[in-house]
Amino acid sequence: MNIYTNIRLLAKSVKGQNLFTAAKDISGIQLFKNKFNLSQIQEYYLSYLYIYDTINRDIIVEKISPHVLDCELFEDSYLLWKKLNKNVEKKEEKSISKDMHLVCGNKIIFPTEVK
Amino acid sequence: MDNKLSEAEKIINDMSKNIEVSIVEDMIKDNKIPFIYEEKEYRVRLLNRVEKEELDMLRRKKFGALLKDSDILLEKDLILQLKKRDINVDEIDADIKKLEAQERDVQIKLGESLAKNEGETIFNIYKEQIENFRIDKQIKAAQKTILLEFSLENQLLNYVAEIITYLSLEVKNEAGRWQRMFKSLDDFRAYTDEKLITQAGAYAMILQYF
Repeated sequence: MNIYTNIRLLAKSVKGQNLFTAAKDISGIQLFKNKFNLSQIQEYYLSYLYIYDTINRDIIVEKISPHVLDCELFEDSYLLWKKLNKNVEKKEEKSISKDMHLVCGNKIIFPTEVK
Repeated sequence: MDNKLSEAEKIINDMSKNIEVSIVEDMIKDNKIPFIYEEKEYRVRLLNRVEKEELDMLRRKKFGALLKDSDILLEKDLILQLKKRDINVDEIDADIKKLEAQERDVQIKLGESLAKNEGETIFNIYKEQIENFRIDKQIKAAQKTILLEFSLENQLLNYVAEIITYLSLEVKNEAGRWQRMFKSLDDFRAYTDEKLITQAGAYAMILQYF
């Protein structure tokens, strides 16, 4: 039995995702019997609940291929690309805001009075 | 007839997958893994704070003892010894890193093509490439594991696995209550049923060091 794969299957399942959504919205619903001292296996499961929630949303909103959910390899590849893409977007945003600052602060050339 | 057979096989496969998933579901619910061995009920559970302290103390003691043993080499020293015999572990590491980088590049391409919905044919071409890199990487990693099997670090890891099993294995008594299977480390060492210990050890490591 491959535990890693089975945890991902559980997090991906309709039941897992429904419970995750319910636990986020309704404070009385608990995913585990213990409230603290989470084991590694529980942390791994929680992170995959988030991941599959994100992928499901991207399939609907971003119109990515539903085949992403065909296998772990597709899921991991998509998440890696998404993470890198986000980093590039952030860098671009930063460089744009830097330029704006330069334009406002130092590079405005006021017209001089012609004598 | 063939169709019916393959459908039946699919149903059986799905059912066994569901059973495995439900076992995992039970496992993560409360950090306890119950199992039956020769008609007796056993379970392993996540160690509590006191047991973790005991584990830490025993691990430190063992580390000290292993350091004193001149027959057991630290991983870095073992790598140097192997180099003298023309076995280069650093080269294996470099090969693994190269394969990982190649795999990552193709994964990014696959991720982009999935985001752009470019079609199953393209997805599968990338998938095959990644799988080939992974197979090569696994072969290299297995070579490295075999070469470093007797390093001090590995000896310590094996010892820790044993101690975790000793601390976390419980058996259901006649009154239906869970109790520690072994009262002392000596009891554990004297126990002869390796099959039970191996099974419990595998479960205990999943909970403790997943």
